[in-house]
Amino acid sequence: MPQLEASPVINFQSEKYKDSYSRINAIVIEGELEANGNYKQLAERLPDHKDELLKLAKMENRHMKGFQACGRNLEVTPDMEFAREFFAQLHQNFQDAWAEGRIVTCLLIQSLIIETFAISAYNIYIPVADDFARKITEGVVKDEYMHLNFGEEWLKANFEASKAELEDANRQNLPLVWKMLNQVAKDAEVLGMEKEALVEDFMITYGEALANIGFSNREVMRLSAQGLSAV
Amino acid sequence: MFGLIGHLTSLEHAQAVAQELGFPEYADQGLDFWCSAPPQIVDTIKVTSVTGQQIEGRYVESCFLPEMLAARRIKAATRKIVNAMAHAQKNGVDITALGGFSSIIFENFKLQQIKQVRNVTLEFQRFTTGNTHTAYIICRQVEQASEQLGINLSDAVVTVCGATGDIGSAVCRWLNARTDIKELCLVARNQERIQMLKEELGRGKAMSLEEALPQSDIVVWVASMPKGTEVNVETLKHPCLMIDGGYPKNLTSRFNHPDIFVLNGGIVEHSLDIDWRIMGIVNMDVPARQLFACFAESMLLEFEKWYTNFSWGRNQITLEKMDQIGKASIKHGFRPLLI
Repeated sequence: MPQLEASPVINFQSEKYKDSYSRINAIVIEGELEANGNYKQLAERLPDHKDELLKLAKMENRHMKGFQACGRNLEVTPDMEFAREFFAQLHQNFQDAWAEGRIVTCLLIQSLIIETFAISAYNIYIPVADDFARKITEGVVKDEYMHLNFGEEWLKANFEASKAELEDANRQNLPLVWKMLNQVAKDAEVLGMEKEALVEDFMITYGEALANIGFSNREVMRLSAQGLSAV
Repeated sequence: MFGLIGHLTSLEHAQAVAQELGFPEYADQGLDFWCSAPPQIVDTIKVTSVTGQQIEGRYVESCFLPEMLAARRIKAATRKIVNAMAHAQKNGVDITALGGFSSIIFENFKLQQIKQVRNVTLEFQRFTTGNTHTAYIICRQVEQASEQLGINLSDAVVTVCGATGDIGSAVCRWLNARTDIKELCLVARNQERIQMLKEELGRGKAMSLEEALPQSDIVVWVASMPKGTEVNVETLKHPCLMIDGGYPKNLTSRFNHPDIFVLNGGIVEHSLDIDWRIMGIVNMDVPARQLFACFAESMLLEFEKWYTNFSWGRNQITLEKMDQIGKASIKHGFRPLLI
């Protein structure tokens, strides 16, 4: 039986690490910022959940500040332009859906895809993070599960009416996640995060969310496979 | 509710099964995909005991493939196992058996250190390796199949290949204490462990495989045959009973001779049909009735509501525990597969 090789020691101060960190850190900051904006917009359309959504928006803002502190701690300037470009298509899809009143699509993008993307990235990052970032990320990931839960609960309560739109939105947006993962795979690897572990974690959390909403196992497998069309 | 964590035997097998189950998107994918694939509950199972009691279970496909070990994708392999365990626990399964390579990977890579899997804290008392029942069934196969073949145990040389493992050592303990076999040969790689086992048993001959095979009337395989080993069947005893306790089962083709009887080891037959489709997928001869004894252990623990990691760790299987699980096995209508 082959042996499990020990994880390599990471030098958080190396130029290579910091260079990759400048992009990954920026993505995380931008992701939290977009989430903050998205929840504020959703609060306008879902008046019954306004207070809850504004609370979520505030939490995202706090997360963003936490991750900015992580960058400063390593003396890294986040490459925000790269990050805005990274999220551009997903951002555009959210805004288009918003303009057309497709609230289910907005929830799929923010509450399922972005939250799951964040959760999986944070889960894989925590074991390889520097001490400062680990503490912050551990706190954040607990919140993110709560955020994912908001979207799940809403979509579950409105499952029959949302099902067809969810399938469309999944087909349109899931391949973007795969492209995004591919785009950062090298930088993530420098940080000690393996792409296959990221994809797996994403598939697990996303699949669980779809199942909680009401999709059958078979439907979940089919919906998850639609991401593969991007590879 | 009971659970079973299983996996397929090869990438090719996985692709064929995906196609068969109606997932052509997955059928085209290579090993990289399976390294990233999440665990899935692919079957809901209903089992009825001969006592009339009914229980329900879930089959969790871990998406582990043996090629992951061969290709040194060890981290992927270990993730598959803990993820499948977390999935079973999250889905409210009370007792789950780690089938196939799952328990070996868990043990070998010391996965008990990994308690936190995402937002799930693994509760190890909800899992069992199923090895106690497997060892018990193999021992009963030795006793009953030898009788079928007219091999008298008191005149028989029995070799246990993989003697120092969890199942192998339990088999040795049983054969030593509960049968009157003439001689016990121990084959294993680690000489230190063999020495310890010999001391514990107060008997047994340590031997190489080449040395042991020609003198054996019965060979119990709980380790796979080393690659490249060539055995000339003419040098073996006739008749000779080979009990193939490995996974996947592949000894039949290696010992193709009318006097060499290869029996699939650690397999039980249930007295009543089980409502599931997964055993057809893993190529059991009688899919509604036959299953791995380790899986049956989680069913027995569910029937008896013994919600505990009945088989856990290495070399902890006692004769008392084998008796206990054996009684439950008979009570609920399981019997060892025979020739």
